[in-house]
Amino acid sequence: MERTASRSRASSSLLRSAVVTLAAGAALLARDSRPAQAPPSPPPTIVIQEGVQRFAIPDCGPRKGDEASREVCRAVTQVLRADLQFENLFKFVPQSLMSAIPPMDPENPNFADWKGIGASVLVITRAQVTGGEATVEVRVHFVDTGQSMLAKRYSGPADNPRVFAHQASDDVMTLTQYRGVARTKIAFVSDRDRVPGRATKEIYIMDYDGYNPRRVTVNRSLNILPNWSPDGRSLAYVSYRRGNPDVFVASIYEGRSADLTGDKGGAAFAPAISPDGKRIAYASSRAGNMDIWVANIDGSSPRRLTSTGALDTAPTWSPTGQEIAFTSGRSGSPQIYVMDTEGLNVRRLTNVGSWNDAPAWNPSKQFGEIAYTARLENRTFDIAVIDIATRQVRQLTQGRGSCEYPSWAPSGRHLTFACGRGGKWQIAVADRLGQTITMLPAGPGKNEQPDWGP
Amino acid sequence: MIRLARAWLFLAVAAALAAGCGGKKRPPAVATAPPPSSAPSGRSQPTEVPPPVETGPDVRAVDTEAARGEDFTVSNPETGEGGPLEDIRFEYDSANLTDHARSILEKHALWLQNHRPAKVLVEGHCDERGTVEYNLALGEKRARAARDYLASLGVSTDRLRTVSYGKERPLDAASNEAAWAANRRDHFAVSR
Repeated sequence: MERTASRSRASSSLLRSAVVTLAAGAALLARDSRPAQAPPSPPPTIVIQEGVQRFAIPDCGPRKGDEASREVCRAVTQVLRADLQFENLFKFVPQSLMSAIPPMDPENPNFADWKGIGASVLVITRAQVTGGEATVEVRVHFVDTGQSMLAKRYSGPADNPRVFAHQASDDVMTLTQYRGVARTKIAFVSDRDRVPGRATKEIYIMDYDGYNPRRVTVNRSLNILPNWSPDGRSLAYVSYRRGNPDVFVASIYEGRSADLTGDKGGAAFAPAISPDGKRIAYASSRAGNMDIWVANIDGSSPRRLTSTGALDTAPTWSPTGQEIAFTSGRSGSPQIYVMDTEGLNVRRLTNVGSWNDAPAWNPSKQFGEIAYTARLENRTFDIAVIDIATRQVRQLTQGRGSCEYPSWAPSGRHLTFACGRGGKWQIAVADRLGQTITMLPAGPGKNEQPDWGP
Repeated sequence: MIRLARAWLFLAVAAALAAGCGGKKRPPAVATAPPPSSAPSGRSQPTEVPPPVETGPDVRAVDTEAARGEDFTVSNPETGEGGPLEDIRFEYDSANLTDHARSILEKHALWLQNHRPAKVLVEGHCDERGTVEYNLALGEKRARAARDYLASLGVSTDRLRTVSYGKERPLDAASNEAAWAANRRDHFAVSR
């Protein structure tokens, strides 16, 4: 089972191997409350090659035959499959093969059957609903040995079974070296609740797959440019609620917000909270020209980092918090530059194309790269990614109207952006190589400016 | 010439809209009427006929409007839309004032001198091309360009504020040259 990654394929800079941890006790079912407790530690590990694990996720078996249990079962299986597929790390046994083998006893699966159809990992799901409360069990086995790798039980209200699947998917991902994406949230801007006759926009959050949208701002003004804090409890954004654009930080689970720049004069845009959550960068015109500023997260001690007289905007932090990339028009057209957090050691990063803007630094130290919005042909804008070391550029989007506003998932393995033209914009998610691009079902209205958070 | 003709058509429509959008039912104030045929000065009209020297709008405007400086329509207080002052337009990715924009701002400065209670919020707007972030910065620069020119013409900066809406509040949501041209603008939201 032990293999090493092939050198030729390692060139994509994705690590080709995943570490799988073996959890103890096949019969042990951990009673789980949200958030999940860490899996039991630290069992033997084996190295598996990425993409070689073939998951079989058969239909969920309801413990009772009632419709409510069957409904939760269906949703959990469907969403769990989609979540693990989205991780872009595994292969999957097709439904047609799974239905070709004899029905499985969930308590005692015949691993030879599963091995026969090429499965290497079997994920068994069960569910029951009692009085509006759902209980969902998820068990993961290595087919080769029959060994249990994970056994969890989740319970909670039955009305949003997607939550169980997302939690289970992230728990399965703890068996790899990667952090799961399923419970992450995307903040975005929409005009779906606009006040008639007024061009208002509000900030919303939704699950990473576009479901479960919830409104965050309710001030019936123009609210744009959301940016998550690293702990996922706060959102920085720009609001025109006092007439002038200023940076606010909202504690979204407490329903409070603080105005960081309102007493400082000028306009303030494009907030970006540092990876340690202690500082915030933004663009401000308070000194007469649009420059990059950095302040403490409460808005105190603002310092100006750029002063060229050109438009400087759209700051983004490096994963270490020691550098900031930003857009500047100092060369005559918008291009992306990098500087340290003192505003020194400024260097231009992009050289190809007449318009390179809105950088988003991949938060994983594993990938030294920055996504940005590039004009590669006249009048269309597309998402591109530049490797910081080699300056090599890969174009992610093409022919979807204009695409802009890239933002990385916390793991750095996926990103989101918005595509459209005119009044019709929707939010997309993609793997970091842009091989699969999915438009999210983000609901009515013009949906834009996504920011992928924890 | 086609562009000019279109611009004048736009101004006429804008003036008509402004008159229609005013919150009050009374007839629009003098300044909301279309510009007299002799104005503005030759700056924006590439015609061989020199502009008449002695009939500037200043003389007449002072006489007729000074007496009723309190009497003017304002922009919609909720949205800032409409109002007595025409928009100015910009070239793509530019915050430079065109000659035509300057001539409009010169009229605005005169109007503001004659309507002392009026305050102006200069809104900078952009077309949809380019990113949200860059267009917010560009809109800010456009608003400041107009504010600075009005200030250089003697309008007190106490009466002038700026705001950038970037590409967030387009006049026309379509994706074509006409919509983009209409959206690259400064709007002047007038209040008392």
